[in-house]
Amino acid sequence: MKEKKRFLLLLGLVFLHLLLISIQVPRGNEPTYFERAVFTLFGPVEHGVVSFFRGLKNFWGNYVYLRDVQRQNQSLRDEAFRLRQENMTLKNLLLKFQGSKEIQELLSTVSRSILVASVVGIDPGQIHRSIRLNKGTGDGLRKDMVVLDRRGYLVGRVVEPVSARESRVQLISDEDSGVGVLTERFRVVGILQGDAEGKCRLKYVVKTNREVQVDEEVLTSGLDGIYPSGVPIGRIVSIAEDAELFKEIVVEPYFDLSDLDQVAVLIVDLRDLS
Amino acid sequence: MRHIAEGVVGIVLAVVLHTILGKVFAPLLIVFNAFSWVVLYFGLSRHEVFGAFMGTACGLLQDSFSMGVFGVGGLAKTLLGFGAGYISRKINVTPVTRTYIFVLALAAVELFLWKFLELFLFGERFSAAGGLILLQPPITALVVTVAFQVRRRMEARRS
Repeated sequence: MKEKKRFLLLLGLVFLHLLLISIQVPRGNEPTYFERAVFTLFGPVEHGVVSFFRGLKNFWGNYVYLRDVQRQNQSLRDEAFRLRQENMTLKNLLLKFQGSKEIQELLSTVSRSILVASVVGIDPGQIHRSIRLNKGTGDGLRKDMVVLDRRGYLVGRVVEPVSARESRVQLISDEDSGVGVLTERFRVVGILQGDAEGKCRLKYVVKTNREVQVDEEVLTSGLDGIYPSGVPIGRIVSIAEDAELFKEIVVEPYFDLSDLDQVAVLIVDLRDLS
Repeated sequence: MRHIAEGVVGIVLAVVLHTILGKVFAPLLIVFNAFSWVVLYFGLSRHEVFGAFMGTACGLLQDSFSMGVFGVGGLAKTLLGFGAGYISRKINVTPVTRTYIFVLALAAVELFLWKFLELFLFGERFSAAGGLILLQPPITALVVTVAFQVRRRMEARRS
């Protein structure tokens, strides 16, 4: 191929990319059909790799490496016993406030509201921005569904594109994410935004506010219309007052990206249950 | 046809490696960019046209896995693949040290271009991940140099 043709080809490819970039501008963050297609096409490859390695890990854990299994088993039995007792106590407490039929309905809805999904990939551009799950629209996932880690701490929400068998989750540590939050003790309201480095900033708390303190827990407020209220997010690690109007509050999220193997997606809007 | 098959295998390997690294320890993805390895390797060994197509495929794939602007990674990697192939045809980069320095320079340019587009054109925040991102070009250069030299020696043995 002649050199001129080669450069023309390069120009063509560059033009294709510029076109792809430019058609996203009026659409905002909504993905293009092309992006959706690539996402759907290569999703199964990631699935396959993750399933293969999970199979290997399970084989190793279930049949070969059985050290400490008895101790773990006992510890899980103890935890299950404790959780059963706690569950029973809470049910009894609920009965004091509502009729048993209503409670049975509520509890059955709650137990159906959680879908467990595996994390199959992390954002290659910026690891604190998004993750990909092995569940999609075929499993009942939709945009804006809330995602929690295995301890019930907030991870993020489902965003586009969502294919039949895969979906993307925007993490709360993403700089474009915004969560309505309040502090645990004095209920100071603010907006939590990611800082792209794994931490978050609690915004719009005025400098004159003396009630926010380091080590205080931050919870969702439910005011953003996406996240249900009362979900634990993280803890305040530092407060600076350098800015003119608002405090600079850094929050360390509870969820750990390296420990994010499985997550729980709330497929029912918990705000509808209250 | 064989070249295309090799390219497809390269892309699948990059996806596999990317998935494994993310599962093992997420910050490894900042240092090890398997998509860039594949683009540079094919750019050096199959020259600019193949390098540019590999760059487009790998870059768009990387973009589809990311929440960033779709096409930015693709653009940076297309230029990377083309540049690697075109310059390596003009100058001799076969000695090990030259390969390393050449790939290091290209990987640094690609990283700069990618982050520049995200940072200045799309207003996204630059995340250096505690300086970890600076390790990406030297690691990329090391991996690609080893792969390229192994391939070169295998070909020399065969002929």
